[in-house]
Amino acid sequence: MLKDSAKHFCRSISYDDPLEVCISKIQGLLLSDYRMSKRALALLLLQEDKEIVDTVRDKEGERFDKIMGIVQETKTHYLRPLTYIISLRRQKEASRIAKLTVGFPGQQKLSIKEKLSKILMDPIIGGPILLAILYYGLYKFVGNFGAGVLVDFLEDKVFIARLNPLVTSLINKAIPYKLLQDLLVGEYGIITLGVRYAFAIILPIVTTFFFAFAIVEDTGYLPRLAMLVDQLFKKIGLSGRAVIPLVLGFGCDTMATMVTRTLPTKRERIIATLLLALAIPCSAQMGVILGLLSDNGIGLGVWLGVIIAVFILVGLLASKIMPGELPSFYMEIPPLRIPQVSNVVRKTASRLSWYFKEVFPLFIFASVIIWIGQITGVFSLVVKILQYPIRWIGLPDKAAVAFLFGFFRRDYGAAGLYDLKKAGLLSGNQLVVACITLTLFLPCIAQLLMNIKERGLRLGIAMSLFILFFSFTVGYSVNLVLTLFNIRL
Amino acid sequence: MLSEHAEEILEALWIQIEEQGKKPMDVGAFRDDPAIEELIKLGFIRRDDAHIHLLEAGRLHALACVRRHRLAERLLTDLLDIRENVMDTVSCKFEHLLHEGLEDKVCIILGHPKTCPHGKKIPPGKCCLEKRDKKLLKIISSLTDLETKEKGQIAYLETKNASQMQKLISIGAIPGVPIVLVQKFPSYVFKIGHSQFAIDKELASSIYVRLTK
Amino acid sequence: MQKIAVVGSPNVGKSVIFNNLTGTYATVSNYPGTTVEVSRGKSKIGNKEFEIIDTPGIYSFLPLSEEERVTRRILMQENPCLILHVVDAKNLERMLSLTLQLLEASLPVILILNIIDEARALGMKIDTARLEKELNIPVVATVSITGEGMDILRGRIEEHVKRFC
Repeated sequence: MLKDSAKHFCRSISYDDPLEVCISKIQGLLLSDYRMSKRALALLLLQEDKEIVDTVRDKEGERFDKIMGIVQETKTHYLRPLTYIISLRRQKEASRIAKLTVGFPGQQKLSIKEKLSKILMDPIIGGPILLAILYYGLYKFVGNFGAGVLVDFLEDKVFIARLNPLVTSLINKAIPYKLLQDLLVGEYGIITLGVRYAFAIILPIVTTFFFAFAIVEDTGYLPRLAMLVDQLFKKIGLSGRAVIPLVLGFGCDTMATMVTRTLPTKRERIIATLLLALAIPCSAQMGVILGLLSDNGIGLGVWLGVIIAVFILVGLLASKIMPGELPSFYMEIPPLRIPQVSNVVRKTASRLSWYFKEVFPLFIFASVIIWIGQITGVFSLVVKILQYPIRWIGLPDKAAVAFLFGFFRRDYGAAGLYDLKKAGLLSGNQLVVACITLTLFLPCIAQLLMNIKERGLRLGIAMSLFILFFSFTVGYSVNLVLTLFNIRL
Repeated sequence: MLSEHAEEILEALWIQIEEQGKKPMDVGAFRDDPAIEELIKLGFIRRDDAHIHLLEAGRLHALACVRRHRLAERLLTDLLDIRENVMDTVSCKFEHLLHEGLEDKVCIILGHPKTCPHGKKIPPGKCCLEKRDKKLLKIISSLTDLETKEKGQIAYLETKNASQMQKLISIGAIPGVPIVLVQKFPSYVFKIGHSQFAIDKELASSIYVRLTK
Repeated sequence: MQKIAVVGSPNVGKSVIFNNLTGTYATVSNYPGTTVEVSRGKSKIGNKEFEIIDTPGIYSFLPLSEEERVTRRILMQENPCLILHVVDAKNLERMLSLTLQLLEASLPVILILNIIDEARALGMKIDTARLEKELNIPVVATVSITGEGMDILRGRIEEHVKRFC
């Protein structure tokens, strides 16, 4: 029921005669209760709003056909769609009120902000600016500072040098059972591995990424980026709007998959989800990969080239194969604003807390699963099975462990490779092939669950199977090419 | 020259056969119409026992007639602001005054419109494919044909695609609203009031602007 | 508990208004049956407590996306006793159209002219008293990020809820 305030707040615009006649005819036929004025409802019906039409069909029974008959009849009075006629009339009223109340419509002089905005949207200057943002924001700040300086400090100085030995000796003293000792502080123990990975490797990388992203987001740069890339994105079946989840994917693919819901069509959401799962490495993973290949410039180049090629190829194919409405791009370009520290901190903190709520239990869960898998022997069986495709792409058997971990968290797997490299078990070629395959490999378990949640069970599973086969095929091909041409990276 | 009446028959024939994809017209009402004989003589149509068929020469001529008719409608609504309910009678007279050459000039002034106010397709002419006659004063132009910094008021939205039109309406791109083109590449950026919007070429081509200095 | 919904187009500072009203105790959850997120929080106005809902941005009452549909569903089904329509003051002319649509639906609305500082910087002078008279609803000018006008807004909300909620 409408509140008592209804009468007080009702203020309607009068439309032209044929429309008014039809509105009142429809109003007379609407007998149910809708919690909004019948007049507004009649206008929405005239504009054939699907949801409202369905509601009215349910509620009005046999009067529905009569109502829709009036709608059809009204349409014949006008050359243009009724939305157009109604919106036009309403805007006229809005403009009339604005003229009465706005003293001076505002100058149209170009401000400094607008000049800067123009530069950011320039297709020629915009490119280098994007590269600069990526270089300083992603590579320098997240890669070097977050994944380098901070990780080194936390991992080597805090965990390996202090915390791990301390906790290990404490626990070994307190709990005399070897099995429980392994669970907590063993090679893959909850504290020595789970907590260490989460806090020493993932936390600094993800924090720096979300911080950088919040700054970029608050300036209003992202819609400008969307506008720059729209034409290119159309080729892979996406609109410029998709740039936001894809860039966020460099932080956390799981979160980015959730953000794909801001894309307007189902087709775009599916393509974006697939590309995120396959070819966008998340910050944790990228941090480790940058670390792995940092002393191998050509290797890093090959990795980057292959991943970009896969991104483009899969996008092109998906846009060819997928049925559905072609994307259309419209986006407001908000004025540039100087980011507020408090807002950036609040955003980073809330994303980080979301991330940790989602990810930390998974690290613990993963440690427990590995522990159970090890004592029951299931784990070594799966590792044995995985060794076949691993050999197939030319990697040592031990890499199978990293790949299995990779399923629990992609970054977990990458970090496993890190340990292998430290032990000197991987050649340059093997390292590159492993990095490529692992980047493309199955999304982490969190992302798999998110894919299923957002895209449905069938599509989520189908995507994962495709990615599983595809990643090993690419790994195999790269290894084959490197071997055939006798290239050593 | 073809009589007005014969031109109208030719147009109706074209709309029925080419546009609506229906069967050739029944001879019926036109049995004793002298215009039919006129059209047959010119090689525009062919008549058998029950139907009138459109021939290639007639198709081309009909296409030009339809184009003139619909351009005339656009001219009357967009430029002269003739009320929609009287438009039919006026435009029927008007179209016969537009002849080749003149019709292309009207087309250029109106910014090569793609549809008539009823939303039906206007067959493109030579001028639409070349689009190089910049000397002639444009009065109305699609947003894609404007240069950056050119401004005007939105004249109308191409009504062919309802969902696209809905998007434009919702962001406030409504006829009568002042608009400035800010950028053309890689996407179209325009300013309405104090807000800027970016849209793709598809959407931009359905906004028609009446230019102001 | 009675509800108050914050609506408006994207980029007008709805969330900041929402945060100002609710403090930090907001819960974010998916709207039932969809994957669209809606934030809810509590606010004490006068001596009554209200649930404040921060809705996804809409341009018009005729929705184009899943998110916009959720906003309309909140307005229609959750029966808020007050709607705060937040607009960017400098774009009043364009955004008034949504205000008119809300009023057409007989929904109880307070119009918030947010980011009024930017409008002033452009030399715009908005006669809020005249606007109130024309629309016949309360109109409040605010700068949500600095908190300017928020006290007045709370006062106007209190007046409203005393009369109508």
